[in-house]
This record gives sequence, structure tokens and C-alpha cells, in this order.
Amino acid sequence: MKFLCVLCDQPMKLVQVAPPDRGSLSVVYECPECAHRIAMLTNPLETQMMTSLGVEIGPSGEKTESKCPFSGMIQGMSAPSADGDLPWTAKALERLANVPEFVRPMARVGIERYAREQGLREVDVQVLEQAKSFFGM
Amino acid sequence: MKSYYDIAGDGGSNVEAQVVAKRGRIAASLAGVRHMLAIGSGKGGVGKSTLTMQLARALRASGAGVAILDADLNGPSQARMAGFGRMPIIPGPDGIVMPRTPSGIGVVSMGVLVPESEALDFETVARGDTYLWRATREFSLLGDLLAGVAWGTLDFLLIDLPPGAERTFQYAEFFGPAAAIVLVTIPSDLSRGVVARSLAALRKTPNRILGYVDNMKGYACSGCHTIRPLFAESGAIDLGIPCLGSVPFDPDLAAACDRGEALPDDPSNPTRRAIREVALEIHRCMEVT
Repeated sequence: MKFLCVLCDQPMKLVQVAPPDRGSLSVVYECPECAHRIAMLTNPLETQMMTSLGVEIGPSGEKTESKCPFSGMIQGMSAPSADGDLPWTAKALERLANVPEFVRPMARVGIERYAREQGLREVDVQVLEQAKSFFGM
Repeated sequence: MKSYYDIAGDGGSNVEAQVVAKRGRIAASLAGVRHMLAIGSGKGGVGKSTLTMQLARALRASGAGVAILDADLNGPSQARMAGFGRMPIIPGPDGIVMPRTPSGIGVVSMGVLVPESEALDFETVARGDTYLWRATREFSLLGDLLAGVAWGTLDFLLIDLPPGAERTFQYAEFFGPAAAIVLVTIPSDLSRGVVARSLAALRKTPNRILGYVDNMKGYACSGCHTIRPLFAESGAIDLGIPCLGSVPFDPDLAAACDRGEALPDDPSNPTRRAIREVALEIHRCMEVT
């Protein structure tokens, strides 16, 4: 979708995407010639259609927070553990960054659950390797 | 006044570049995969998933590196057949570490993440309109899985497709021409008719169709050691593609799948023998380009 400033006959530039409000996105465009601004307000279905494509809406390089798409179904995802979060070492976090964003919350919950069951107090690369062996991977 | 085509780029989010980048990540992730083989039908309940796992076991037994992608996101069965219980997603140096069966078959299935008591559900701001966006969301998720798993070096990536003639076609388009197709039917006219529809749709894609497998072709009776008929076969529908083999139904195999175990290593078992022959034929076909 593109927006044209009819008065200036110039393509408008996307300048800002406001955080979603009840499923609606407010996407602000500006004419580079006359600085006139408009906002495109999506309805929830339009927002969902874009989300379904797995693309980010916003000026290039701007990233919105990625959320696990099935967080409601995974035990322990919606409520934090009573024991609080386990600390992760920088190297372990680097590993976590190697998996797609949408599974990171699930990966974190699963690994922390394993670590707790093993009586561990921190997640480091060794714990990840241990978990790999433990689950036969 | 300028038209859409007079303006370079898109509205500012560079959506096309994002899609191209994702395709690139998928291609990079699958770079070590020698053969991609999608196993579909169009018809449900013909044993696609069972056959996929058994073919993987047979190919693995021949020394090949094999993994399965369970593309049936809504009715995943490969996790159970692989014998996986609850297991976490483990981040590795190159992406998600692929869970493996004891024999070394990699299995990526939503069944590991979503308990059997739950249906796959997505967070959404448009509840009630799922029929409009759900298929797109599922393909996007599948793309994320393909790009995110550390597939490593594989001889075969078997893709277990969901049922539905139109879905088979859509998945063929999604995976692209690199994915060859094997169709599974049972020897009833009803099943063959649905498979014929899938085939008609698949012929519009550039994907290579290796042939079909006649599954549940008789019942392998372990008491009298004979193959007895299961379906009335009229032979009225000729699919017009090679038959890669016929596999008799074996209740022991069904039970082993439920338990997540392999069939006992008995070379005289006719079902096991038939699956091995189909695997050999597939291997042979895939080597011929």
C-alpha cells in the first residue's frame, strides 16, 4: 500500500507507527514536500492480516516487539514462575538469540523449567548442552 | 497524478524486502539438505504420517541422514510417532536444535510444543475472522520453522503434508520446485478420486511428482501369514503416475506408531519389507534428476 499527497503529487513517507490499541494500528505518513500528515488507522482484521504475513510495519529498521504466537497455550508462558526468572549468562543469551524470535519465550521457559528440575541456579551454555543430551538431541 | 506503479518501493515498511529476506533465511537454513520430499495425498486418513515416519526409518536404516518436518500444524502426529514426550526448544549455535529419535531421525513437529489436549491457536486481534487470515499465518509460521531450525546436512528432508487437495497444492507452491512430491492413497475409488484431484492441481506446479504409494493394500495377517483384502478395488481410476509400491496394513505397525516405537526388526514382515522397497524406489528416483 502506498500513499500519495494529491496536492504535491508526491509519495508520502511513513514516519511513525503508534503501538497497537485494541488491535488497531495508527500509521502516520508525511508528505516530504508540504509536510502534510495523515494517519492510516487499521481495523483489527487488517492488523491481523499484516501480522499473519510475518512482516513488520514501520519505518525500515524499526522493530516492534515480537510475541510468541501461542503463548496462551503454553504452560508457564502467561504467568512468571513463582521462583522468578533464572539468570542467563551472556553466552547463553547469545545462543537464545540464534533461534527465531517467536520461539524465544518458549525456549526460555522450557530451558528454565529443565534447569530448575535439575536444581540449577543459572542458565549457561553448559546447561543448554546438558539439556540437549538429556532430551537425546 | 502518479499511479501506484510510478512510485518506487512500498509504503515505507519495505514489506517486499522483508519477504525476500525471509526466503533467503529459509534457503540458507536448507542449504545442507540434498533432497526435499513432500508426502501428501489430499485425502485424510490414508496413512501419510505413518508412511512418512516409516520411510524415514527405512531411509535412515540404509545410512541416509533423514529429518521429518511435520507440516500438519493443526494435527501433528510425528512427535508421538517419534516417541517424544515433553521437551523444550533448545537454542543451538545455528538455530533450534532438532530433536532426534534414538536412531537419529530429526523430527520437527508442533506436537512437541502443543499438548494433544490443546488445539493450535494463535494470539490474534481478530478473533472470529480466523478463516480470513489463518492459512497465511500458518504458512508464515512454517517459514519461521524452516528458517529457524538447524537442519544441518541431510540426505532427505521428508515433509508430512496435511490433508486437503487444495492444501497439497498450496504446500507444493510454498516449498517450491525443489520439493518432489509423493502421493499416498488407499486402494478405494473414493481415495483415488481425491488423490486424482490433488494430482490435477499439482500438475499446475513445477514440482516433480515421483509417483504414488498404495497404502493399506490388504491386511497383513500375522496368524496365517497371508495378505487379505481390505478394500474392494475396482481399478477404475488410473492416476497416470508411477506406483512406487504397495504397503499392506499391519495392526502391529499402527500400535507401534501409537507408542512411538519402530516395528521390530523382522525382515520377514511384509509391511516392513514393502516400506523398505518403497524407500529404495524413492531413493532411486531422487538420484535420477
